[in-house]
Amino acid sequence: MADRQTNLLQGTLDLLILKSLALGELHGLGVARRVEQITRGTFQVKPGSLFPALYRMEEAGWLSSSWGASENNRRAKYYKLTAAGRRQLDAETSEWKRIAVAIAFALQAT
Amino acid sequence: MSPFRRTPSRLRSALRNLFTRSRVERELDADVRAYADLLADEKVRAGMDRSAARRAALVELGGIERIKDEVREVRSGALLETTARDVRYAVRTLARRPGFTVVAVIALALGIGATSAIFSVVSGVLLRPLPYRDPDQLVVILHEGRNPVAPANYLDWKRQSSLFSSFGAAEYWSGTVTGDAPERVQGLKVTSDVLAMTGVSPLVGRLFRADDDMPTGNRPLILSWGYWQRRFAGNRDVLGTSLVVDGSPYTVVGVMPRGFDFPMFWATGVQMWTPLALGARASSRQSQSLRLFARLERGATVRAAQSQMTTIAANLEKAFPGTNPAVTVTPLDTMVVGDVRPALLVLLGAVGFVLLIACANVAHMLLARASARQREMTVRLALGASRTRLLRQLLTESVVLALAGGSLGIALARLGLRTLVALAGTSLPRADAIGLDLGVLGFTTVLSLLTGLAFGLLPALRVSRSEMSEALRDGSRGSTEGARRSRVRSVLVASEIALALVLLAGAGLAMRSFAALRAIDPGFAPRGVLSAVVTLYGTAEAAPGRREAFYTSMLERVRQLPGVESASLINHLPIAGDIWGLQFLVEGRPRPQPAEMPRSTFRVVYPGYFTAMRLPILRGRDVAETDRVGARRVVVVNDFFARRSWPNEDAVGKRVTFNPTAESPTWFTVIGVVKNDVQSDWSAPPQEEVFLPYLQEREYLESGGGHVGYMTLVVRAACAGASRCNPGSLAPALRDAVGSLDRSVPVTDIQTMDEVITGANARPRFTVVLLATFAVVALVLAEVGIYGVVSYAVSRRTHEIGVRVALGASPSAVVRLVIAQGMRVVGVGVAIGLVGALVASRLMTQLVYGVRVTDPTTYAAVAGMLAAVALVASYIPARRATRIDPLVAMRAD
Repeated sequence: MADRQTNLLQGTLDLLILKSLALGELHGLGVARRVEQITRGTFQVKPGSLFPALYRMEEAGWLSSSWGASENNRRAKYYKLTAAGRRQLDAETSEWKRIAVAIAFALQAT
Repeated sequence: MSPFRRTPSRLRSALRNLFTRSRVERELDADVRAYADLLADEKVRAGMDRSAARRAALVELGGIERIKDEVREVRSGALLETTARDVRYAVRTLARRPGFTVVAVIALALGIGATSAIFSVVSGVLLRPLPYRDPDQLVVILHEGRNPVAPANYLDWKRQSSLFSSFGAAEYWSGTVTGDAPERVQGLKVTSDVLAMTGVSPLVGRLFRADDDMPTGNRPLILSWGYWQRRFAGNRDVLGTSLVVDGSPYTVVGVMPRGFDFPMFWATGVQMWTPLALGARASSRQSQSLRLFARLERGATVRAAQSQMTTIAANLEKAFPGTNPAVTVTPLDTMVVGDVRPALLVLLGAVGFVLLIACANVAHMLLARASARQREMTVRLALGASRTRLLRQLLTESVVLALAGGSLGIALARLGLRTLVALAGTSLPRADAIGLDLGVLGFTTVLSLLTGLAFGLLPALRVSRSEMSEALRDGSRGSTEGARRSRVRSVLVASEIALALVLLAGAGLAMRSFAALRAIDPGFAPRGVLSAVVTLYGTAEAAPGRREAFYTSMLERVRQLPGVESASLINHLPIAGDIWGLQFLVEGRPRPQPAEMPRSTFRVVYPGYFTAMRLPILRGRDVAETDRVGARRVVVVNDFFARRSWPNEDAVGKRVTFNPTAESPTWFTVIGVVKNDVQSDWSAPPQEEVFLPYLQEREYLESGGGHVGYMTLVVRAACAGASRCNPGSLAPALRDAVGSLDRSVPVTDIQTMDEVITGANARPRFTVVLLATFAVVALVLAEVGIYGVVSYAVSRRTHEIGVRVALGASPSAVVRLVIAQGMRVVGVGVAIGLVGALVASRLMTQLVYGVRVTDPTTYAAVAGMLAAVALVASYIPARRATRIDPLVAMRAD
């Protein structure tokens, strides 16, 4: 039970992180804030889920990272999408839409 | 930039994570810290003051270390990495408790090392196939499983059988190679099929061909690798060289490769082969001197071959009565290792027990530690470590322990193996195939891993499953430990004791059996006797009419040597020499069917043999100088012969013949009766044996070939006392005495009678020494186990004992209390062990002599010994318990 929940969340989380990076590179806190912003506060990504996800996605080759200075001059690690990451975003987006439509139909069925 | 560029992303990450671990770790740390800082900045901007913002950020983060841990878990290569971390942690933990670690590693090293050593013997001797092509097709064909076959039978069998693709014969041969230094060389006469059927190619030259089987003037010779090295320094130009063996020229045609030995169960150490050209002997059904070797046709079974051979022999027996006793077809493998198999398997089982005991020991040492570490584990559980994580880490710890034990064990096995092979001597076939090879190392590694899991699993499960509340309740107070846990440890110790008892019983039986073997009276007095084979065949001294003169003057010289008490000659030394038999018939008895004609061992002796050997003459007299050709034929018989042939009568003066089927048999008058002596097998019951005077044997004196061309010199040293007797030191003087008569006469096989007997008992000694060693190790381990359990119990019961003392319990009552607890466990272990030993004893049946495998004395003795040892082991902690100060004990609570 617990596992399934994590998986569902993980799939969603991946999509949200990919989406949040679609416009440009961000550091870890930036990703968290951006996700919050684009989901209008529905999803608040905790660092305990964020970091494992970032590292996992980087290892999968979807993200690349580099060190840079933040707006108030702190050294931080910036993440950005790779080509593979963009492809993954497209794939997950259309997959998500397909599921959303299907579920919407399912819920409308009488 | 990276050597991993072409590898897929995940693999690349895994490799980077593993190889640049510290950099990756630093980066992760900086990344998480940057997050915390940025979060704090955010809060400052929102109006918090800096230090409060920092604290809040850290709280929101939920612990930098925890986050890092979670990232580590998802990273590629995480499993490997956590394992590496667990191993490092395990090593550190173990290093902090050197006492525990050293004891555990030594116990495991003893178990694993001994098991590896025995396994390498089993693997080399029993498991590895014989070094021939398709060795399971090779069979040995003999009479009654061991007796050689007559030439005419061989030829008939070969012609009539249809299930063999080749069928050859071999005959023992030893020849004197003359030249600069005359030497006796062991050889084998073989038909051309024999070497070919092994599938081994010669290193140099060729094997024998079918046309070599015909007797011609040209005798080909094939050399062993060792003899080629020794005599020709490995020179490849040896082909075509001529060697003079027993006075006839032989031509070297080939050299066998290094280590070649066939057939291994007989005639080992052969150095040269020549064709067995039967010639006129081909029609003989009497002289049984051939051992037959055959390769089964593809698809033919030993059973089918056996039944065909039985039919063939039965038909021949009808045509030639008395010439075809039972024929046996035995796989070569069985002949080579068949009789050592039970001993090795018993030893392997025994050593497995030692390992199990070591495991049990370490397991309950770990259990004891587990209780001590309960707090550590509880705290880690409370801090969020998962149980699987803890289990994995604890198992890693025990596997590390086991691998350390395994490495030390390998070193022990290396040492032990050398001793073992030396101890086994010639009693172990294929000793050169024994070694710590890759197979054994693999076995040891797997064994160590399994061992680690075996002894680690129980304590690890226990700890990782522990309930927090129980741990806090149990761990912090010095009360009586949980009944369940204490039961587990008692079961472990009881099993140790049971296993140790089974081992002790086996060792006890082997020792009693060995003592019985030692107590066998060989008939003669072996101490102080030196023997040597003196061969005239192939030298000028072998000329008819010169043999007696040579031996007589040789004996004269030897007897005059300082330190020599007496000396004489016999053709075949007891135990070490051949056993030749003759049919016989007692005068005045009806002549039985040829097949039922009784047979007796016969030996040929010089006067004075019985004196030199101190084989007592019970009645009558020794053979004398005057018993020579032309005089009345005489014979000395052994007591068994006399009693069997003339029950309740004096044998002296009676007559017996050794050619009972002849028209006019030659009658021999019995002039003396000697005590029964050991003939060949050390523990065999007595059989008929007769001694004929050399001086009356025309074959020995005049005619006859190599098989009668040598005699064995026996010399009794004059010993000051029975304890200080070293007949071996006479060897150089013997050589000189013989050499002073004729330099070309070789003196070989110099050995003391004690050495001969030691060699004959090598296998039982091997078994008994190993079993006893294992039993002692088991006893020590079991003792440590009992001691551990009782002292642990005492330390857990300090409070209770303190209360008892405070309430007036006397020291002896405390001792009784503690010992009773220990002995209950011992009692259960002994009871189970006795049953186990009785069951296992059946495996010992083939290994013991002179003692029943259910011998109650042995069982009672070992049970008593174990109980005594256990008593001592629990007495020490019991004594300590009496010194418990009630005040201290209760304050500790």
